Formats: sequence, structure tokens, C-alpha cells
Amino acid sequence: MIISWNWLKQYVALDMSRETLEDRLTMSGLNHEESEQKADDWAIDLEVTNNRPDCLGHLGVAREVAALFDQEVKLPKAEPKASGPPVEKLAAVEIKAKDLCSRYTARVIQGVKVGPSPDWLVDRLATVGLNSVNNIVDITNYVMLECGQPLHAFDLDQLADNKIIVRRPLKDEKLEAINHNVYDLTSEMCIIADGKQATGIGGVMGGIQSEVTDVTVNLLIESAEFDPVSIRQTVLDLGLPSDASYRFERGVDSQGIDWASRRCCELILEIAGGTLASGVIDVGEQPKEAEPITLRFPQIERILGIPVPAGEVERILSTLGISIRESNEEELVAVPPSFRNDLTREADLIEEVARIYGYDKIPEDVIVPMAPSSQTRIDRVLEVVRSVLTGNGFDEVLTHSAVTEKQNESFSPWSEEAPIQTLQTVIQGTNSLRRSLVPSLLLTRQKNEAVSNPRIELFEIAHVYLPQGKELPLEPIMISCCSGEDFFLMKGTIETLLDALQISKPFSVKQEKHTLLDDEKSVGLYLGETRFGVLGETSRAGGKQYKLSKTATIAEIQLDPLLVEANLQPLVTSLSIYPPSSRDFNFVVEEAVQWSALKQCIEENAGPLLETLHFQEIYRSKQLDEGKKSMLLTVQFRSSEGTLTGEQVDQASEQLVTACQKQLGATLRG
Amino acid sequence: MSEALDQYINDLQTLAEDAKKAFESAKQKEDLEAHRVEFMGAKNGHLKRLQKGIGKVEKDEKRAAGQKFNEVKQAVEQSFQTAQDRLANLSASEQVGPRFDPTLPGTKRPIGRNHPLTQTVEELKRTMARLGFEVAHGPEIEDEWHNFDALNIPASHPARHPDENFYLANLTQKGHPLLWRSQTSTVQIRVMEKRTPPVRIISLGRVYRPDKPDATHFPMFHQIEGLMVDRGVTMAHLKTTLRLFATSLLGEDVHIRFRPSFFPFTEPSVEVDMSWQGGWLEMGGAGMVDPNVLKAVGYDPDEVSGFAFGLGVERICMRRHNVEDIRSFFENDVRFLHQF
Repeated sequence: MIISWNWLKQYVALDMSRETLEDRLTMSGLNHEESEQKADDWAIDLEVTNNRPDCLGHLGVAREVAALFDQEVKLPKAEPKASGPPVEKLAAVEIKAKDLCSRYTARVIQGVKVGPSPDWLVDRLATVGLNSVNNIVDITNYVMLECGQPLHAFDLDQLADNKIIVRRPLKDEKLEAINHNVYDLTSEMCIIADGKQATGIGGVMGGIQSEVTDVTVNLLIESAEFDPVSIRQTVLDLGLPSDASYRFERGVDSQGIDWASRRCCELILEIAGGTLASGVIDVGEQPKEAEPITLRFPQIERILGIPVPAGEVERILSTLGISIRESNEEELVAVPPSFRNDLTREADLIEEVARIYGYDKIPEDVIVPMAPSSQTRIDRVLEVVRSVLTGNGFDEVLTHSAVTEKQNESFSPWSEEAPIQTLQTVIQGTNSLRRSLVPSLLLTRQKNEAVSNPRIELFEIAHVYLPQGKELPLEPIMISCCSGEDFFLMKGTIETLLDALQISKPFSVKQEKHTLLDDEKSVGLYLGETRFGVLGETSRAGGKQYKLSKTATIAEIQLDPLLVEANLQPLVTSLSIYPPSSRDFNFVVEEAVQWSALKQCIEENAGPLLETLHFQEIYRSKQLDEGKKSMLLTVQFRSSEGTLTGEQVDQASEQLVTACQKQLGATLRG
Repeated sequence: MSEALDQYINDLQTLAEDAKKAFESAKQKEDLEAHRVEFMGAKNGHLKRLQKGIGKVEKDEKRAAGQKFNEVKQAVEQSFQTAQDRLANLSASEQVGPRFDPTLPGTKRPIGRNHPLTQTVEELKRTMARLGFEVAHGPEIEDEWHNFDALNIPASHPARHPDENFYLANLTQKGHPLLWRSQTSTVQIRVMEKRTPPVRIISLGRVYRPDKPDATHFPMFHQIEGLMVDRGVTMAHLKTTLRLFATSLLGEDVHIRFRPSFFPFTEPSVEVDMSWQGGWLEMGGAGMVDPNVLKAVGYDPDEVSGFAFGLGVERICMRRHNVEDIRSFFENDVRFLHQF
């Protein structure tokens, strides 16, 4: 809201400097944005919060100034001389849509002379950024900017049957507005019609048909109240915000409606001449006085932390136009003025007291009781996850949680159900809530490749959204990685992560197929029987879909199983003081025999002396029979009871060799 | 002196001279090392060989042979040391052969970084934790009760309009629409619904609003919000907590200023500024929890009171690191990420 310094001065004495005024207003709720010199005036831009539509006019701001500087507000009388015939003889108003328009007043002025506005009026409007149109339109704007009540002047002779009907539009009804655009009217809009057709969109914009022009002589002045929700919807539907709708959306002063109408007529008679019809057409609900509010004095200290003397409380409320009906030691009963619809409760009055009394009086050094706060398990686990991933060279990224449908379809290891969609597009064609972070990471990888970044190792930690039919979707947190390194380095990173979290549940993989991934190098990740992740290298087609220049390896794991299995407070076991003894084994097996089977066989059969089992290398050569491979591994034995003898180690070795032979057809290579 | 001893001493002297010559002739460390092995090698060096030779000397002359051996050994060691010093003191131009270049770059183990927004969030969390605030989490897909109604945002409020939120298609709960949360205050409601006071938490995470992307807007951003509810919590506690928070974060004495504002879920509502380089810097919004919010979660506003505050993570992070465009956080160019 732009305020003119000179204009404001009409209603309240401005003895202070402009800077002082701006500062005090900022500190009491009208945040000062900027000021600009306009001729001999200043345009002061104040931010008005949505709860204070009363400050969308100079009088409202003047009331704030008066309260802050202990001044009186000089309210214009608004008593136009009515010498014409009774208004009922000249026009009629009917409200059919009572839910959209609660009250409508109309006055009629005959014989006006439409023309340019006087200089003072042009100047006032220019300071606050409005162009002059003609004296009538300028006056309606002036009064709106004076008191906050939007007004509209119709050319009475253009209103069929001299009649105003406030109603919903008829089917397929259209309106050409004063901006010359034609609008389709829909059923929840509030239309101002004459005896025949729509001639304005109530509270939003007038129609061209009944617009005041140079040849207009008879006027109907509308001052009304429209439903804020309906106005807002209409503005959105038509893309047609206006100064009037801005005010109606926030609510107008129900007792100020008639004052604004009188004030407007007063100025028209003064500037454009004419004769005011006697009386007013006033249909709809009459304004009601606000409900009284009880303010208990101790509540002020209970909320603000400082006491405010009762006398000061009463003084502040009174200067804001709030009338004190009763008061005693304990409490007071107050009735807010009609222009303060935001004041309905004790808490609202406490805020009024606080903002005028001054928030600077609230101390910033009181004692706040101590309280324990422990780190959540999620945060403790994620701290480990982050340190492992960053320690292994991965950079964390944050990508948007929405992707395109196509991207969402491209990879979904957790849900077969169709993804959730937003009604509105989120950004660049995305409106699909992701079921995996992998598509976003591949896109990010591609973008980094495109700018020739040499090393692109990425991870992200975020919720995904897994639809559950009609139930609320699941939102598990995923930890996803995307790497330019191969399958085994990625797998090793996950194994390192499990080590760091001290997870003892056995980790295993099972091959599974995914779009985007290479059929062979693609696995589900398991902790015990729980599938908690996927891992794989992109296939040629997958890489192509994401325009990657080379194979990428992706992994995605769920946080929840890690939360369950992580051992954040491990217990130590005592270390053996005896030396270990190692043996290398070179097993020749069928290609179909996987390491996991060999490992399991050895672990189950090597006996209690087995300490560790390390894979060394896999070897294929023509010297081996066709379809065979050799796997070299090292087994380390150790006892906690004594130094191992050669016989003990031989015996354990024999056991595991025999078992591998029997169960897997493995032979030792000489 | 027996002939054997005489011969032994001769051999020793020859060895000492040969060693000295060899060491002196060495032009680079590798040559010297080869000579060292030749003469002084622990297994097959000439010295070692001659040391064994003491055994062949007559018993009564062993002492003299030993003495001589030790003399020669010291002499050889001395001439080796001299040669070593000489090579070590050669100027760069006098040196020959391959040389160790310690100025080659080290072999780095690659290290990644947490995203700058994560770094900021973690720091804010740590700072609030020291003041006794626990982290609370909640879902991102929300119902209107938690996102609006319980926060005293009535059905007619503009913030609820479909254009201001990401409502979800074809997904409702008991006939009511669902949306992507537009604020993390939803978590506060969920915590208060489950717990009785005292409550002292921070909620944080991603929130979603249909803002057109520009230098300061993105349809997804992060919020961090604090809530404290108990008997006797006042606005002075709010101001003090924010001052302690800002002071801990910046490590210097900071003052707090309140300006009146308006939020549906707090009454009174204020904008919070902190003193910064001689001026005031906007921190975020705050206020005393609106009685309607307390009632909505089953608390008695005459029994307990509370404060709440909210900060925009992106804005803090941008200011801390001189980031000028919010979109760079979500472009994830590793050259950008590596600057943090």
C-alpha cells in the first residue's frame, strides 16, 4: 500500500520526521518497504499484512499514526446535500445471490459533468501510482484509497430498467469488461446485472456497457460488500486482479460502506456538479456490532513475559478505536471497531497491546529452563551413512522429488503401482512423485557429463513415495548412489557401509532384472531374508535412455532396515593372544558355482578355528577343463586357547576341502 | 707376528683403501648404495667376509686381528659416511640420475561432500540441540487437517488455494484431499497430538509450493521450525531462545528484534531480525502458538502456552556462502558442490 505523505496529513498531524514515522510504523506492524519523492510529495510504500485490510486506505494508516503518536484523526464529514427526488424513484437494487453479496448500497446523482479532474486530485492519485481517467472514476478511486472501501460508478442511463440485480451468471453468459476483454462467466461468480444482462463482475471489474464516459450525465454509485472467497476464486479463474478485488478478498469495513458512498457523492457534487437523489438504496444485511471480548490482565504477562500496567492497556486499546465497556482490577471487556474484523479473541487484544507498547520492551535474556535432547536414531545412523559415503568420494546432491512420468516408469524397484501425481505441474513437465531416486541421479549424472566434469560420484538421501492403493502412500527414506565405477566397487561401498553400522545380519545378493540395468549385473540386496536394496550397472539401452556417455552403476537402499539392524553401541569380545595360521586354497569349480556357495560351504565346514575367509581372485584358462574356473581364496585359522599346531590346521583344511568336493564338486588345483 | 696375521692385516688395509676409492668414485646414490652392499653388506659384504677371517688367525693373535678389524671397519664406515655426505650436499646441477621428487602431487583418496543445504541443516540442528530441542520427523504427504485446519488456517484462507499448493491427483483420505506439505509445521501438530507438554522440538525437511523458479524461488525448499510448549512459556523465552540460537550459530553476541507480523498459527506473530554488521538482518517468522492451534491438538490454552519460529534453510545457506541463485542448489553441478 502506497501512502502519500501530503494526503495522510489531511487526517492526522505529522509533526515527526518522515524517517521517524516510517520506523514507528515498521515496528508496530506496517513494514516500511521504501519511499520515493514525487514532486512535492513522498510516496511511502508500506507492507500491509492480510489481517489488516483497514490499513489499505489512508484513514486506516492515519488511525495507526494517531495511536502511535497520541494524536486525533480528523475524519471527513461525508454529508452530501441531497436535493433530488427519492432514490427509489430512479433506481432499484435486488440481491439474488445473498451468499456472494451480503450488502449492496446505491445512491444516484443526476446531471453531473464528466471531465478532467482538478489538479489536487490528479496529484494525489499520481503520488500513489494511479493515472487519472476522468473526474468520476478518479473520485471513486480516491475514496477507495482514502477509506479502503472500493466503489463503482455506473452510467445510470445504460442500466436497463434502471435496475441492479446481483446474481450468479446465466448459462454461457459473457461480459465485456472495461479493459475491453470478453470474459466467460461461470456459476460461482457474482455478477452485477441490469434488467437485461451482466454489466459488471461484482467487486472485480465493471462492464464496458455501463462505464462512465464523457457523455454520462446520471450516475449510480455502488458501495457494497462481496464474499471474499468467491472474489478470490473469480480473480484466479479470470486472471483479473484489481485494487477493488484485493480489498474485498481481505474484507471491508461493514460500517464504512455507507460512509464511503456518502463521501464519494460529496466529492462528485463538489467536483462534477449534479444533484444527489435523496436517500439510499441499502439492501442485504445490516452491519452488526462486534462481539465483546474479555481481556484478563494477568494473561498479558503470561504470554508476553512482561507486565503492562492496566491503565496503559486501556489507553492503547482506546487509541486503536477499541471501546472499553467495563473494566476492573482483573479484566476488561472491549468491543473492537467495525474496521477491525481481525480482533475477535483475547489473544488478538494481547497482540494489539504488545505491538503498540513495543516489542523492544520484551527482554532477550530471561532464564530458559534446560531440557535434555538426544539425537534421534535416524540422525545417528544417517551420520554414519554420510561419513561413509563422503569418505568414499561420493558427493551429496539434492534433486526435486517430482519427475516426469516417463522417468518414473523407467525404474521402480519398490512398487508396481502407478505413481502419485500432483494436480499441477511442478517444474519442467514433472508432476509424478518419484518411487525411486535413481532416475533423478542418472539425470544429474548426465548433466554433469554434459559440462565435462571428470569425476561424478553422487548420492542422495530422500523420501520416495510408494502408492498403497487407497491407503496413504508409504514414504520410506532411500539412500541412493550413482557411480562411474564398476559393480564391485559399488557393492564394496555398501559392504563398507554395513560394516560401519556394525550390522551382523548376513548380507547377500540375488540376481534380478530391471529396466535400465544390465541383466547379469543387476541384483537385489538382502540382509537376512529382507530385500533392502538394489544394485546394478546400467544396460546399453538404459544408458542411452539417460544419454550417458558410459556405463553407470547405481545402488539404492532403504534406510529402515539399517535403522533396525545398526548396532550403534557394539560390545567388544576379547582378542586371542595366539598367532593365526593361513592357508591358500585354489578350488576348481563349474562356472555355475558362485562364490556365495563356496563361501557358505567353507564357513559351515571349516570348524570353530575358522577366523576369516578372503576371496583372492578368479582365474579362467585353457588349462582348465571347459566350463570350469578356479577360485583362489585364503582362509585364516586361529584359536583363543593356544597356538595352532600343524595337525589342527591340516585337519580343518581337510574338512573344508572334503565338504567343497562333496557339495560343490570342487577340486583343489595343484 | 705370524704370516697369517700379516696377511690378514694386509687384506684389511687393501679393503679399506678399495672401499675408500669406490665410495669416493660414486657419482649418485644408487652407485654408493651398490658399493655399500659390496663392502658393508650384512650377508656377503667384504667386511663380513674378513670378519669371518679372524677365525683363521692364531689364537694368541686374535686380539690384535680383532683390533685391526675394528679400526678398518670404522675407517670404511667413515669413508662411506663422507661419501654419503658429499652426495647429499651436491647442488642440484651436480646431481645425476633419477631423483626423488617430493613436490609431485600426493595421491589423494577421493573425498565427497555433504550438500551445502545439508551442512546448513546439520549445523542448525546441532545448535538447537544444544538448547534442548529434539528433532522430529513427519510425512511429506499430508492431509488438510495437519497442513491447514489444525494450524488455524480456515478453509477460506488464500494459502489453501489449489494454485498455492501441490494437491495430489486421485488420492484422498476419507474423501478429503491430500497434498504435498507446504510447511513443516505439520510435524509440530503431529508431535503435539501424540505427546503432552512439555514439548521442545524442531521439525525440518522438504516442503513444496508451486513457486515459479527464479533466483530466490524454487518449487521445493527446506524449512526448519522450532516449537516449545509448556506451562509459563512467554515471548521473552522466545526472544531469549532466538538470541542464544543466533549467538551460538554466529559465535558472537547477537541481539534480536521483533517486528509485528501476521501468521494464522501464531498470535502475537512477529518477524525476527538479528543484529548483523551494524544493521538488522531478517531471520524468519515467529510468535506465540495461537490458542486455536493448542486447542486443535487437545491442549488447554489457559494451562500451557508456547512459542514457534520458522527459518528458511536456503536463505541462511545462501547468505552464509554467498550463493546468489537458489537454483544452483538443485542443479548439483559437482564443481558447485565441491566448493563447500
